[in-house]
Amino acid sequence: MAGIYEYKIMLVDDEPELRRMLAAFLAKEGFKYVVTAGSCREAKEVYRKEAPGLILLDVMLPDGDGFGLLRELHQESEVPVIFLSARDEDEDRLHGLGIGADDYITKPFLPKELILRMTAVLKRVYHVRGGDKGNEVLLLGDCKVDFGSGVVQKGQAETGVTLTAKEYAILEKLASNRGRIVTIDALCEAVWQEGNYGYENTLIVHIRRLREKIEADPSHPQYLLTVRGLGYKLV
Amino acid sequence: MKIKRNLPGMRKIFYFAMALALMIGLMLVVNFAFFLLIAFKCYEMSRFTKVGEVLEKLSVTDTGYELEESMQAELAGKNQWAMLLDENGNEVWSYRKPEEIKESYSRSEIARMSKWYLEDYPVYLRVWDERILVLGIPKHSMWKYNMEFPLAWIDFMSSVWFWIVLSDFLLVLTLAFFFVKRQMKNREQARIEWIAGISHDIRTPLSMVIGYSDALCGSGNLTEEERRQMALIRHQSMVMKELVEDLNLTSRLEYSMQALRVEKMRPAAVLREAAAAFLSDAAEGKLEIEAEISEQAEELWIEADRKLLVRALRNLFNNSIQHGEQGEVTVISLHMWKEKRWCCISFSDNGVGYSQEVLNQLQSRKKEKAEPKIRGLGIVRKIVLAHDGKIRFENNREGGCFCTMKFHISSF
Repeated sequence: MAGIYEYKIMLVDDEPELRRMLAAFLAKEGFKYVVTAGSCREAKEVYRKEAPGLILLDVMLPDGDGFGLLRELHQESEVPVIFLSARDEDEDRLHGLGIGADDYITKPFLPKELILRMTAVLKRVYHVRGGDKGNEVLLLGDCKVDFGSGVVQKGQAETGVTLTAKEYAILEKLASNRGRIVTIDALCEAVWQEGNYGYENTLIVHIRRLREKIEADPSHPQYLLTVRGLGYKLV
Repeated sequence: MKIKRNLPGMRKIFYFAMALALMIGLMLVVNFAFFLLIAFKCYEMSRFTKVGEVLEKLSVTDTGYELEESMQAELAGKNQWAMLLDENGNEVWSYRKPEEIKESYSRSEIARMSKWYLEDYPVYLRVWDERILVLGIPKHSMWKYNMEFPLAWIDFMSSVWFWIVLSDFLLVLTLAFFFVKRQMKNREQARIEWIAGISHDIRTPLSMVIGYSDALCGSGNLTEEERRQMALIRHQSMVMKELVEDLNLTSRLEYSMQALRVEKMRPAAVLREAAAAFLSDAAEGKLEIEAEISEQAEELWIEADRKLLVRALRNLFNNSIQHGEQGEVTVISLHMWKEKRWCCISFSDNGVGYSQEVLNQLQSRKKEKAEPKIRGLGIVRKIVLAHDGKIRFENNREGGCFCTMKFHISSF
């Protein structure tokens, strides 16, 4: 299974400076293959030649609009597409998503946000796990979490402990949003699928068990922090 | 998901239509008055001596009939003439009678002239004992027309005239209403599109400012001062991003053209999500958020536009951050509880509070004024009101601002 950085990214925008900036940024983030196009016509040519794994597509292009281009390209293959648009009207967003785009990002955006959402789409479409350049291990101090096997190795201990399915889901959700607060609701949704309330107390139990497995001192957590009233954060 | 569209500025349109209708009404009244005045003036100017007046000055003498001299002069001055017919229709006296006028008339001729004209002269008749006095005025000086109305019609009209006037007024009002509505809609549409165009054109260049400044902030080759400046550029460009979004949103909410994308949601989850996202993005150690959601409130559902609701909360957070005391940690408290059929959310901080000017503007009923100082908070208010909610801005007694929002609880 190839890491997400192996996929070729095609960037379609009529503004050359923006293409340059994004290409440089993607390269810096580790994406090895980035191709660009400035118009619908060029995009079709590049698409046939390079067969990219993901397309970042501007809606307004000099010789047509991105919506039409998406339909055309989708006739050839189901390549994932993320729209980059300067229009933030709901109608455009819904139209874009409605015709089969995987995401719709409104300009201006933080490059980090773009990367996060690209990563999410790539993972979802190609079922790649762990964006960390193929490395699916989470390091928390001297504790090592292997997402491949679901085993936690703490300190110098010979044998690791296995995560339960729910603990795994919680930790995975927190790890993919590392440094950011994940709300109780989002965690419940990740574990129990439906965004139903009423699982908060159960969640607390799972978090406590998870801390016992990954924290040196579970009552004074260093990594899995509680943000009172809102949710949890993995630092 | 359903779409809720507000009526476009109904009150404004109504006022315009009302003004237009009144104007038309006033115009009609003025025209009518003017018409009457002119008619009256003309009548005055060309007022002829009446047949009754002539009769008073006519007397029987031994030799026949005699008209007083003053009346003779008057008739001559007005170019009028007179003749007296006996019971057989023969002329017995006349004064200034034109040549073409006969001296003898049959009954039918008398009957005809009594209503209309005699040889094109408008004439007036008056019976004097068995005789008939005929008074003529110059040709082409008077239009004679006999009016007849069925009494039933007059009775009917006198009972319904009020309703006819009223329905006229309503008709004019309705026409004016639709006319004005269309005009205003076109104008507002143009304005919204203009603003959307501007915000669209700013977005791409701003992407680059944000992208490069963000990249440079993380670069290791900068001096401390350069890094500080870069962070400032990055921060300010993010502020511009918010401004652009607000601009577009304001114009849409202002003209009530924003279609609310209403969906059922748990406000507790939305509140936590917005707070968590904001807290995650905030500078380390600069912001604390305390969220307290009552158990009852956890179970509430409301129907709202998620994006707009998050936007409203974000604007409140932004306002607190911007107006927090320099160097102090901003502490924001969020509460959510249930109150009858309302889901209530309160927002307070430990900053300087809203200034009196801002509070005045937020509470003013005038929506159309440009209010630069409350741009962000004005959007909060507009969003809450667009959801048929209630909002109140005030200050804590111990300092800091306090805002309460209420939304209708949706029933399953």
